[in-house]
Amino acid sequence: MKELKDNIINRIKANFKDATEKNDFSYNRLDFHVNKETIPSILFYLKDEMGFIHLSHISCVDWLEEGEFEVVFIVWSPKDKIKVFVKTRIDRNNPVLDNIDMIWRQANTYERELKEMFGVQFTGLVAPEEFILEDWQGPPPFRRDFDTAAYAEKTFWHRPGREDAQNVRETISKRDGEEIPDFAKKYER
Amino acid sequence: MYNDKNSQKIVDYIQNWTRKHSIWVLAYGTGCGAIEIPPTMTSRYDSERLGIRGAATPRQADVLLITGYLTVKTLKRVIRVYEQMQDPKYVIGFGSCTINGGMYFDSYNTIKVLDKYLPVDVYINGCMPRPEAVIQGFVKLQKRIGEGRATGAKHYKENLEWYRANQKKIIPNWVMPEYNW
Repeated sequence: MKELKDNIINRIKANFKDATEKNDFSYNRLDFHVNKETIPSILFYLKDEMGFIHLSHISCVDWLEEGEFEVVFIVWSPKDKIKVFVKTRIDRNNPVLDNIDMIWRQANTYERELKEMFGVQFTGLVAPEEFILEDWQGPPPFRRDFDTAAYAEKTFWHRPGREDAQNVRETISKRDGEEIPDFAKKYER
Repeated sequence: MYNDKNSQKIVDYIQNWTRKHSIWVLAYGTGCGAIEIPPTMTSRYDSERLGIRGAATPRQADVLLITGYLTVKTLKRVIRVYEQMQDPKYVIGFGSCTINGGMYFDSYNTIKVLDKYLPVDVYINGCMPRPEAVIQGFVKLQKRIGEGRATGAKHYKENLEWYRANQKKIIPNWVMPEYNW
């Protein structure tokens, strides 16, 4: 496993100068961080030259404080049994990335999801306008600055009388006039 | 004699009595609560002994079960299904999501209170309700039908504008057929 990982790291670093690796996982995982321009070529290289033929997932992490999105591509090699995470950071105000659905057709679906849920644009993506959300008019809902509770409060009618975040044990003991036993007190919040 | 008030009462009584013993439920699951319907229908809890059984299409069904959370996208379909159903028709709100949002109280895409959008005859609470609770809810509905109090469909027809206004508030792109029942 270790030689296999070192081999992958050496080959990637020899071909892509901007790639930095993270190799402190005890299991079959490797991380690479690259610039966003390198994404199509590194994925092409992983797929065609190194046997990472399966695209497991494309995901996105919202780094609100740093003003960036981190897009994560997870590829899997059935021959070596290793998964490689390829990560890149893009600007949060102008989230544009190269479309990779000519490498894997199924990337189209993930890209549509990211476009709808995070507002990440993929250049040349051919897809219908809507993916899951119908008639959505708000901002992309998976962004961290989107306040779901406030949006739900504004959009939907709430039944009055609901009080959230109550201490269940305290509320029930107060309602029924019971003492909280000592052994239960140490689990207090 | 035939338009007599008392004879109408007898007709209503017989009508309600027959209706309450054949509740056909539309096989349509909207949320995770639909997973409780197969055990309710099959041999362990065998709800067919109470006359509760599945129906394949909306036009054959009497009861629309809203099983759990309802997204805005599903609400569109549910309204369409409900309006296609023939009289008599009843709605059962199933699970705490239909009552006050349940664990999806702050979700951006699920409705919180079902009876703003559809007339609910019986609510079954629980997250999720066990088959005993489901059958209890159906028995309650049967009781209400027998007493002639399950008048949700009538209420919907009479207050259609109010319901439509609520529905259109959260479904901005309204491309639905208008039924003239």
